[in-house]
Amino acid sequence: MRRWFRIAFPRNYLDRRSRAGFLFVLPALLFFGSVFILPLAQSVLYSFYKIAPGGAREFVGLRLYEKVLTDLSFWTAVGNTLQLLLFSVPTTVILALAVALGLNRISSLTWRNVWASMYFLPFATSLVAAALIWQWIYEPVYGFLNYALSFLGIPPQKWLQSLFQVRPAIAAVSVWVRIGFDTMIFLAALQSIPEEYYEAANIDGANAVQRLRYITLPLLNPQIIMVCILELIFNFKIFDQVYATTQGGPAGESQTIIMLLYDTAFKYFRFGDASVMAVFVFVTLMVVTLLQWRFFRKPVEY
Amino acid sequence: MTAVAASNGLPARRSLTIKQAYVRWLITLAVACGAIIVFFPFFWMAVTSLKTAPEIQRVPLQIAPDNWANFSNYFEVFKREPFLRYLLNSAIVASIAAVSSVVVSSLAGFGFAKYRFPGRDVFFLAIVGILMVPFQSVVVPLYVWMNDLGLLDTYAGIVAPDLVSVFGVFLMRQAIEMIPNDYIDAARIDGASELRIFFLVILPSVKPAIATLLIIKFLWSWNEFFWPMVVISSPQMKVVTMGLMSFTNMYFIEYNLLTAAAVISILPILLIFITLQRWVVQAVVMSGLKG
Repeated sequence: MRRWFRIAFPRNYLDRRSRAGFLFVLPALLFFGSVFILPLAQSVLYSFYKIAPGGAREFVGLRLYEKVLTDLSFWTAVGNTLQLLLFSVPTTVILALAVALGLNRISSLTWRNVWASMYFLPFATSLVAAALIWQWIYEPVYGFLNYALSFLGIPPQKWLQSLFQVRPAIAAVSVWVRIGFDTMIFLAALQSIPEEYYEAANIDGANAVQRLRYITLPLLNPQIIMVCILELIFNFKIFDQVYATTQGGPAGESQTIIMLLYDTAFKYFRFGDASVMAVFVFVTLMVVTLLQWRFFRKPVEY
Repeated sequence: MTAVAASNGLPARRSLTIKQAYVRWLITLAVACGAIIVFFPFFWMAVTSLKTAPEIQRVPLQIAPDNWANFSNYFEVFKREPFLRYLLNSAIVASIAAVSSVVVSSLAGFGFAKYRFPGRDVFFLAIVGILMVPFQSVVVPLYVWMNDLGLLDTYAGIVAPDLVSVFGVFLMRQAIEMIPNDYIDAARIDGASELRIFFLVILPSVKPAIATLLIIKFLWSWNEFFWPMVVISSPQMKVVTMGLMSFTNMYFIEYNLLTAAAVISILPILLIFITLQRWVVQAVVMSGLKG
């Protein structure tokens, strides 16, 4: 308490300096406090209240949790989200790793940059634009994809309008958007591996597969895990791509958890129910992040 | 496959056998093919935007437009929707977000990097912890706040949650930590106030970090969709991502117009990206490594 008093009323030079430091940090603290910490607490609070559109509140304890968590459509949305994740996360990470390894072997710096920026470009565009371009490519009658597949003798598919293809099709958009980002992270990590390791392995007679298996992948392990977690979080929060294209359809097959949250809150104005989902999303992602910290935070020494 | 040590002290270079050269060539080919596939949707978007409505409905599909200089879709986009207004809205919001985030982040970065005060490390950890809070988990209370403050459907409302990002604070703290303390002490001895030190010593020394943060934050804000969807309801306040949605309709989508609008929405980002590519990539890698 006395330390805070001295920050407010500095007595000497050192106190004045620590007050200056605190004041520099203050705007950021106020911002994060009011935009994240306080609303998060409020989200938790709201999840215990039934809120009428007019603003009247009634404390209902855990009743909303019971309602949302026993609702089939909620679990369908969670299931859809997880399926999307299972399609896109491994695909993105594996492809990005392959691309990064390939790019790293290209000796011409100019060409490496050219190819790298082509992979990276989708990441810089908005998810909405990305999804809408793909919707056009997926178009069943006039779309490019069916046209290209017709050369392989594959009959036209319905893609986003199909109950079974809609999730892989949306997942492919996510892969397309994210691959460049992951590639850049892997490439940066690859370039920081000292060349001597490979030279030593060469002298010992290791072949390319062995070098990859025993040098590159172990040293890249922290980045691979980090990218997996980032992809997991990104894809768990999937919204833009779905909202811009299928809006959860056909027949709710691409309804995701954040889509449901958005509709519940801003279409039906059931803030209480939406807050239960908000808490669910927060807790799920926090558990994922904490598990990662607990099990995978091993520093790597080069 | 023997390593030949170079005599000039540079790292040893492997001499290329024919098999290795072949493998290298195959890898380049694979990387290039992948890059072309990844780039193809952009090409397809641009080509479609030059076609007329009957052209895009031709069966079998024809790749090249009849007239490569047919820009009528672009004029139609601006005629059909106040797209210029959308672009302006996005530019305003993204610029405010970028500048405010640089100001607040560099102040905070300075405070965290160069001062000792009670609670400093706890505060910093708390800010790190915010990375774990998904924006969607706080969106309902934020909406209620905006409603109570009368900020729904205003620029202030769109930009409010975007003013600072955790990444910015990280980045600036890291950059400012690199500045030698001697510089700061020298300025103090000359009698400069702490704020003066910030403006005259700190800010000029971290220009690259400032540029990085400006670019990445502008990009993020420009592409933002979820929050604008929540706060904006009137047509003239829409941002560009929402404007794109005006060209979609559940039953009939004019893809020639939609792709033209998409090209317009991506163009500013593309220009930034091409001119400042090195910084963008560096910023993204850093944002990833910090996340």
